[in-house]
Amino acid sequence: MNPSIGEARIRVPDRVVQGDLIVVNAIISHPMDTGFFRNADGQPIPAYFIKDVVVTYGDQEIARFTWTSGISRDPIISFTLKADREAPLGMVWTDNKGAEFKQSADIKFASA
Amino acid sequence: MPRPDEPSRRFFLRSALLAAAGMIGSGSLLESERLLAAHGADPNDPEVPNEEVARILQEISGGKPIRRGHLSLDMPLVAEDGRIVPVIIESDLPMTAERYVKGIHLIVDHNPDAHLAAFQLSPAIGSVSISTRIKMKRTTWVRAIAATNTGEIWAAYARVQVTLNGCG
Repeated sequence: MNPSIGEARIRVPDRVVQGDLIVVNAIISHPMDTGFFRNADGQPIPAYFIKDVVVTYGDQEIARFTWTSGISRDPIISFTLKADREAPLGMVWTDNKGAEFKQSADIKFASA
Repeated sequence: MPRPDEPSRRFFLRSALLAAAGMIGSGSLLESERLLAAHGADPNDPEVPNEEVARILQEISGGKPIRRGHLSLDMPLVAEDGRIVPVIIESDLPMTAERYVKGIHLIVDHNPDAHLAAFQLSPAIGSVSISTRIKMKRTTWVRAIAATNTGEIWAAYARVQVTLNGCG
């Protein structure tokens, strides 16, 4: 079964030690159509892609990505995070039709 | 016994080769030198293929020299499926409040939209280590360009051979 457009997952390590540099992996389901292809009936498939991604840590914006349809279908992105506090890591993906998709993952420190 | 026609034939061949090289070179070399000069790049860097890429590089660098170093662009040598080409961009540049990489740009020279992605970063991410998957239309150079908050511009390049067009 295919996930629906905009379904997103963020993976962070479960056991984080304060100050660790952790890896954040995110994926969102999206066709990322370039606008250069046609469907089986010969009709052009209009451009439909994620164009903007905002990453927040707590209430702080820590990164922002500007994408084109050159990013592959079902975009994945991974980056690091300096885990200096317990707070949610949030992401908002916005596509060229203005739809917003949100997901978040809690950064929690392992009790020693 | 040396053949009497040897020196003149060699001379002829050499001059013909030089003339041919000159004729082939003059047009494209001048053009690429002009585009290179426009963004102050190293002559060993990949040639700037067109005005669009020249404009993107100028926009990112603001005319500052684009130097190779402090950045790695890890991509396959051969991408069999141009729809899914993995990219890893890493850097040893500091990510502190005083000095950090504020942006990473990914440029695919011969893609319909050459300025494929921009990643605005902040010290909170702790390091530059970004990975994703991109589409590529055909065999071309890929450029990763990093801009620091202090105005330095660093670059890494990868030539990727594409078998199946991933852009349409």
